[in-house]
Amino acid sequence: MQFRHEQLPNGLDIIAEVSESAHSASLGFFVKTGARDENDSISGVSHFLEHMVFKGTDTLSAEDINLRFDSMGASANAFTSEEDTVYYAAVLPEKQHDAIELLAAMMRPALREDDFITEKQVILEEIKMYDDQPPFGADDQCRALFFKDHPLARSVLGTESSIQALPVEAMRSYHEERYSADNLVLAASGAVDFDSLMASARQLCSPWQSVSHCNRKVSFSTTPSKAITDIITRDQAALEYAVRMTPGPAEDNSDRFAAKLLAVVLGDDSGSRLYWDLVDSGKAEHAACHHHDFLDAGIFVTQLSCEPEATQALLDRIIEIYKAATKGLTVSEVDQARNKLLSRVVLAGERPRQRLFSLGLEWSHLGRYRSVGDDLATLDTISREDLHRILCEWQLTELSTTVLAGPLQKD
Amino acid sequence: MKQTLQTATLDNGITLLGEFLPGVESVSVSFHVAAGSLCDSVMHSPTNRSRCGLATLTGELMLRGAGNRNSKQLVASLDNAGVQWSQSVSMSHGSFAGAMVSRQLPESLEIYADILRRPLLDKQQFDPARQVVLQNLAGTEDDPTHRTMLALRKAHYPSPWGLPSEGTTVDVNNLQHSDVQEFVNRFIQPQDMIISVAGRLDWLEFTNQMDSLFGDWQGQSREPVINGERGKKICHVPYDSQQTHIALAWDVPPYRNPDSLQATAALAVLGGGSSSRLFTEVREKRGLCYSVSAGYQTQRDIAAAMAYSGTTADRAQETLDVMLHEIASLPGTITNEELDRVKARAKSGLVMQQESTAARAGAMARQWFHLGRIRSLAEDLERLDNLTVESIEHWLAQNPLTEVTTVFLGRNPLEVPDAVSP
Repeated sequence: MQFRHEQLPNGLDIIAEVSESAHSASLGFFVKTGARDENDSISGVSHFLEHMVFKGTDTLSAEDINLRFDSMGASANAFTSEEDTVYYAAVLPEKQHDAIELLAAMMRPALREDDFITEKQVILEEIKMYDDQPPFGADDQCRALFFKDHPLARSVLGTESSIQALPVEAMRSYHEERYSADNLVLAASGAVDFDSLMASARQLCSPWQSVSHCNRKVSFSTTPSKAITDIITRDQAALEYAVRMTPGPAEDNSDRFAAKLLAVVLGDDSGSRLYWDLVDSGKAEHAACHHHDFLDAGIFVTQLSCEPEATQALLDRIIEIYKAATKGLTVSEVDQARNKLLSRVVLAGERPRQRLFSLGLEWSHLGRYRSVGDDLATLDTISREDLHRILCEWQLTELSTTVLAGPLQKD
Repeated sequence: MKQTLQTATLDNGITLLGEFLPGVESVSVSFHVAAGSLCDSVMHSPTNRSRCGLATLTGELMLRGAGNRNSKQLVASLDNAGVQWSQSVSMSHGSFAGAMVSRQLPESLEIYADILRRPLLDKQQFDPARQVVLQNLAGTEDDPTHRTMLALRKAHYPSPWGLPSEGTTVDVNNLQHSDVQEFVNRFIQPQDMIISVAGRLDWLEFTNQMDSLFGDWQGQSREPVINGERGKKICHVPYDSQQTHIALAWDVPPYRNPDSLQATAALAVLGGGSSSRLFTEVREKRGLCYSVSAGYQTQRDIAAAMAYSGTTADRAQETLDVMLHEIASLPGTITNEELDRVKARAKSGLVMQQESTAARAGAMARQWFHLGRIRSLAEDLERLDNLTVESIEHWLAQNPLTEVTTVFLGRNPLEVPDAVSP
């Protein structure tokens, strides 16, 4: 593996992790924009814009884009999160330039009004689709209550009313500001020809303008003032779905990896404390704990789904499990979790598509490169004491924000 | 691309498949026992008590302790060896799989041999295992797309092919520990078992170890599956959801029939990729839905094409009409450009499969099950190259679509025209 980085005069970063043994190349534009960069009047615009980027440019129609991706045999898609919008394509090496050419063109979309009106219907369908699915909006609602007036409180999809009310002009100005050359990273992984990638980027992306940006970080108070609980009632649901959030290390915190290891010990999908107590016993359909990190904040998210009447007792039980963990983790369970993570890092490292996201997001957020070897070495240095320290520092058992969705009614 | 494919057969009928993949550190292994959920139906006789979900419950219980390890020790040994393990049940197979750094392979194979040959089937673990299966069933109740596809399978396939592998709540509640014991005795057998391995691999070492772990395992012959009735052709599942879910199925040849290449290429023109007809007409031009697609589902002897879309209730009728129109108007209209795109996507998929040891191990096992051999990448690519619009059109003309099974899940039923015509 070889890491390469160059920057165009307009500020566009181009990075690549080149692998001799890969059979394919994965390429993507990572735009430093997402729900957190919106306000109430444009809620959902980042995600809607992600759809509109596939609707064409001044010289390409939506159909042209779909035809060209399929013609090069690309596996292409995009996603939008709280902090990022990512467009990517995995192709055979000989299609590298074709893929970059198309992706780069798409970064300057036409944003035609008739396409905007048609696509608005697709977005509204997507909102309804998620509304019919577990956890029935509990995740969005929990984040809104947890982060309150912090930008991370915002919903990625927006609401039916915010999407209905959104004018195309608002999207155009959002695009102009957020898709500035220095706010994008072009990342590549796998069987990449970096010199050719640079030549493509110079040719296609040099004309892009840059506009100055304000700092996206907003300080977040990690000590909640009180516990919050909310309920979304869905009579037709068979199970109750709970989402519980407490603060955790942010992405620039040196405890970021330790927090992830701790989450594996406590609440991995199998072999964890929550698993043995709640899932293996058949008490819950699902119980898990994850650590998510953002630019300026982090969260431990606990998810539970179970029979409605068991919900409160199981949420109490989870607190007991977390309390027991603060009293001491065993060396063997920490090692078991570490071995799992090490193996995941190695296996994910063999797939260019999976490497692309780690590579692009790390650079996009922290401006640095971490190899698979760096991640493995960091995991090896984390001790049981580190996990105990995090448990003491971040107080998973204390004031949390919890949202339930399912048949349970509000009192 | 030079490929190293290996096969071997143990005396008891177990097939070993292997591929050395250069440039990877990992190896993936998968075990496929001919003990899928079809066997649930074989177990119905003689008492006539339906046992839908028994294969799934058996798989769950087999992982709860084997050899000299109890449930926790078993999971701990797999986790400590860095094995990303999984267990699943399909119609035809109960499968156990693991992906790991290659030096852990010998140790993990010993654990898998215990799971397959020496499961504890601990009575204390039976109720919790049953609860896990019941919890999963309750979870799928809340997944409208999954429920729609289950209803479609049940309506379209002759029994028992449409029965849900995950089981039914009523049947799982009635299962007993003795059922699992009997299932293991009758179906967890070496006959027709496929063990597939791909990645950084020493084939000779692997086959020697497999011979010592599995070579002395003797079993009995398979029992036949008896086909029953099909369900209703049009079926509405009432559900209080914002979206109406539409699913369609029709017969196509199974994978081992050479014509399946023509059928699946036609299906890819219809609903594979973002330039497919369904995606273009239903989503891109009309904005009727977020998801719409068509795909292929094959068993050894029967197969179906399945199309799906989820959309708001008041636009569901139009969505269904457009989908049926696109399906009916396919014959006689496929272009060379469309076929070229299908080929390009399929070729990329085949080559990229070489980057995932788990995908390769699974794909080799599937080919062996359906064809009794593994096709090389070169052969697969050649078959694609030789595919022509004429051969697809010829197949479509010879096999006109006469019947489509239609399922809706949502508040209201939709109208289905009597005949499928362009």
